[in-house]
Amino acid sequence: MIESQRHSYHLVDPSPWPISGSLGALATTVGGVMYMHSFQGGATLLSLGLIFILYTMFVWWRDVLRESTLEGHHTKVVQLGPRYGFILFIVSEVMFLFALFRASSHSSLAPTVEIGGIWPPKGIAVLDPREIPFLNTLIPLSSGAAVTWAHHAILAGKEKRAVYALVATVSLALVFTAFQGMEYYQAPPTISDSIYGSTFFLATGFHGFHVIIGTLFSIICGIRQYLGHLTKEHHVGFEAAAWYWHFVDVVRLFPFVSIYWWGDRFPQSAGGLVDVGPQTKRRADQSKE
Amino acid sequence: MASAIVRSTLRTALRGGARVNPASSRSFSAGASVEEEAREAAKWEKITYVGIVACSVLAFVNLSKGHPHFEEPPAYPYMHIRNKEFPWGPDGLFEVKEHH
Repeated sequence: MIESQRHSYHLVDPSPWPISGSLGALATTVGGVMYMHSFQGGATLLSLGLIFILYTMFVWWRDVLRESTLEGHHTKVVQLGPRYGFILFIVSEVMFLFALFRASSHSSLAPTVEIGGIWPPKGIAVLDPREIPFLNTLIPLSSGAAVTWAHHAILAGKEKRAVYALVATVSLALVFTAFQGMEYYQAPPTISDSIYGSTFFLATGFHGFHVIIGTLFSIICGIRQYLGHLTKEHHVGFEAAAWYWHFVDVVRLFPFVSIYWWGDRFPQSAGGLVDVGPQTKRRADQSKE
Repeated sequence: MASAIVRSTLRTALRGGARVNPASSRSFSAGASVEEEAREAAKWEKITYVGIVACSVLAFVNLSKGHPHFEEPPAYPYMHIRNKEFPWGPDGLFEVKEHH
């Protein structure tokens, strides 16, 4: 089939995955709304929709890997498509996360009177940014160094070293997620505690979700590197994963500065403190007397 | 005019440089030799190790400090906001620690 082709473009075969993915998305949306409004069967429809989407992702990407690795359809000019597409995808992700970080800094730069006119709001205890938050900024950056190591190892044809580098990348990513989980467990506010809790968990939570996606992406690349799918000349999937991973680790700097550091109420103290406020304290003292 | 230049530059960059031999060139790379790539790989391997050591030391320092403890804040109206019941019940999914 490839012999008879006189051009370098990939004319794709008919595929059921676009419509199955669309149906999955429809079921997820409708099921999600039904679930949130406590309709009967909402949770079932939501679960089915998510399973459908995950299944579609698996088989669709499986087909793409076959087209590229076994059938050789990904010529230089075909590789441009995924590159452009992935760059645009990352640009849209940057804008998405920027909006979440901006929501936090908007609320912190002019705190409203309803939350005590201060940031973090009265009664919100925060973690010391120099402890786990700083460590959890350094870990993704080190992981970014490891993925760069993997990239140069692939380009130098050192296949085994590239696998080791990807193992290092993924390990650091898992340590990040573990620390983030610990931080979430220790952080006193919840997502329903004032605008601080809402913006904090929305922004850092979506960043953490992207870290998990990037981890899965890197794991897949590690497996493909181990299986010999990636070559010196052709490793678009790995490059996309590396771009994504750099996006995730650089983006971590924004919440570190605008949420953890700017939201650090007591820069002098080690460990977070809760500020109950002088008036509340006075009232508590008076009631004791 | 300016946008045309940007577009053509971007196109050239995406095609991996216009005048490099297409068989051996790789998009988005400056076309470094295998030896240069090996040197870069060794450099970034070292940077990774430095990063891992720094993270391990920091992790050890942070974990040996123990957990911070916080007082229960007063019940301000903007804390613990509940406008309606969750689909799974009255409590947030991760709010077990609220009830001790």
